[in-house]
Amino acid sequence: MTWLGAVPTLPGEHGAAHVDALLLAAFDGVATDFVCTHIDRLGPVAVTTLSAHVTGEVDVDRLSAALGGPVVVLDSPDPDSPGSPAARAAKAARDRAEGRCIRFPGQSALTGTHPVAEVVAGSAIDRVVGIGVPVSPTDRVETLGFLRPVCQDGELVLLVEPAVGGVLRPTEAENPHECCGGH
Amino acid sequence: MSHDHHDHTHEHDHVEVEGSWRDGQDDRPLSVARRRFLSGLGAAGVATTLSTTLGATPAHAHDGRPASPVNPWAGRGRWFAGDHHIHTKYSQDGQYEVAQQVAKAREYGLDWVVITDHGSVAHEKFSISQVTPDIEQARRSHRDVLVYQGLEWNIPGAEHATVFLPPGRSTVDILQAFEAAYDGALLSTPVANGGKGLITRSTSADGEPYALAALRYLEAQVLSGRTEIALMFANHPARRGVDSPHEFRGWRDAAPDVAVGMEGAPGHQAAGIRTADGGNGTGRGGYDASPNQDSFPGYAPTATENPYRTYGGFDWMTAKVGGLWDSLLAEGRPWWVTATSDAHRVHQDTFTPGTGDHGKTGSRGAPIDTGKPQVQSDYWPGFYSSTLVGANSKSYVDVMRGMQSGKVVAVHGRIIDGLNLRVRSLGEGDNRGVTIGGRTFVRRGDDVEVVMEIDLARGANFAGVVARLAKVDLIAGPVTGPVVDRDTFSAPATKVVKSFEVARTARGTVKFTHTFRGVEGAFYLRLRGSDGNKLTSDGHPVMDVIGDADPWSDLWFYANPVFVDVI
Repeated sequence: MTWLGAVPTLPGEHGAAHVDALLLAAFDGVATDFVCTHIDRLGPVAVTTLSAHVTGEVDVDRLSAALGGPVVVLDSPDPDSPGSPAARAAKAARDRAEGRCIRFPGQSALTGTHPVAEVVAGSAIDRVVGIGVPVSPTDRVETLGFLRPVCQDGELVLLVEPAVGGVLRPTEAENPHECCGGH
Repeated sequence: MSHDHHDHTHEHDHVEVEGSWRDGQDDRPLSVARRRFLSGLGAAGVATTLSTTLGATPAHAHDGRPASPVNPWAGRGRWFAGDHHIHTKYSQDGQYEVAQQVAKAREYGLDWVVITDHGSVAHEKFSISQVTPDIEQARRSHRDVLVYQGLEWNIPGAEHATVFLPPGRSTVDILQAFEAAYDGALLSTPVANGGKGLITRSTSADGEPYALAALRYLEAQVLSGRTEIALMFANHPARRGVDSPHEFRGWRDAAPDVAVGMEGAPGHQAAGIRTADGGNGTGRGGYDASPNQDSFPGYAPTATENPYRTYGGFDWMTAKVGGLWDSLLAEGRPWWVTATSDAHRVHQDTFTPGTGDHGKTGSRGAPIDTGKPQVQSDYWPGFYSSTLVGANSKSYVDVMRGMQSGKVVAVHGRIIDGLNLRVRSLGEGDNRGVTIGGRTFVRRGDDVEVVMEIDLARGANFAGVVARLAKVDLIAGPVTGPVVDRDTFSAPATKVVKSFEVARTARGTVKFTHTFRGVEGAFYLRLRGSDGNKLTSDGHPVMDVIGDADPWSDLWFYANPVFVDVI
């Protein structure tokens, strides 16, 4: 039962679903129940960091190779790590202070349209918060198979907004409009 | 004339005679002549001196110097409708010929357009030389439409922006040099792929100094006489949250005659049409993103708002009263809003992109007519979004001067045909008054009169409906001077002062008057109007619903502000 932090090398934008998939793939063979991405802004350029709650054994070196960057174990005796971006990520997730959750308990059962009460009862999500609208336990959340709740003030919160058909949809979509630029 | 807004920052001897705008006017030709003399020198030393002076203080500084009116009211002026954000087959994600876009813009009533293909390695290398003759040909084919050559610049460290110049001997050279040196895509592309490899990502913060250098470069081209004017408008500013508040302030301060505004409303207005109605069913304006690593952390979706969505089709930065736009205006900082199409691929049009390899040739090649209407997100230029510009004549430089001076109204779906705004002192001060984008003055304690004459739509819009304006909001807030925290993005004292209901039976021109009594401090005011179909309980625009945003049933206009000084 360990909290890990990491600074992965990302082949794409923070928040892109395909990047999440690559990050999770790096954890193949490592039992995790909670994985978050974070943005570390303390340097001159913002860096995407990663945190994970590992429930079994983990080979840190192998994981580090798979993620392409340093991995630190929270509360390890290593004196260099406490102030590192990786350690900050691990702490933020442990404390549910901030972070964008890409794996959490109950996620796999929430792939369809579910009442708010079921989302909260059947997963680690503590609260469903509507943007500009009140949310009642019977309101339906159309997950579209993609949930990215966020850590906020010690809670795991799913932000939702009104969508076509009188349902609520998560504010973060899996495939937002690709913004162009002929890079 | 449009340069007037910073005359008083470097014309220290410009003395206003109290109680008479005519006397003030008599001084103007002198100051204009002096400025021409200065810019005619074209020397680097002059350029440096001027930009230092301008950069040190906002153009509308409040340092106790005498006020002089900007954009003086001159009766009913002419509006020229246009669009500063249009793509062609020279964008990797575009498809149309320049000629198609210009012909459609003309068909849909536009007087001026800017061709703005994306900056990229391939665009700089291959596209510019191809689009230039196409633009020249379009000018010859449509002599009644002004066709500007521009660029959709990847602002280093931020979003996209329109950059454009009037036609001139050096126009293409300036645009190409600008793109080569300062486009975020080129700066962030590794050297091995033809870029510079100087910044981490196009939107990462290490690009910000390049953005300021880029704008200073453009201003230097103007000051040295290589081009008469150059303008920059930030495009879809809140879409990904990567335009920080301090970046807007930095751009404006770096080049106050070039960086003049932003899209108040983004293009892609058809994107939110329900799939059940044959639409794309995504976010209106293409606004369906969430924060990424380069987003400003203050722009966060919360229980009360989502900055990453449009509100009544307008960008959150513009639509929110007391929001980012107002925070700039409350500094006394001129910053103007527009509305554009961002036309890449038009909803229900039958064309699809050609088969060209843009990366290798800079062009998608001739578009293919499938004969079948395509489900897309955009409208043709002029079809839905218009930027109305007040200008002395329909000439390339005059229309740009109108934009630079803020005589601009952003209009959706022909909700209005025009607007005649006059703001003036009823006591001592500027009795003639000023119009949109302007700046007037009043003696402390006197009254300021606002007269709004709004030309209702005289005909149908391109959905075939005569849009009906239901209400006009007069919004005002105190001018409190430069902010200490350059990342400020709220102006809590800015409010809707009064809402005017437009009678259902009203036709032609409606007139409203409001008087600010006993004015004690500098303030600004602006107008917006709505068809009244979608309003919150307190009369504000509603956040557009993903997949359910019919743009034709939620129409707004936003007029640019007038600043009132107190002497």
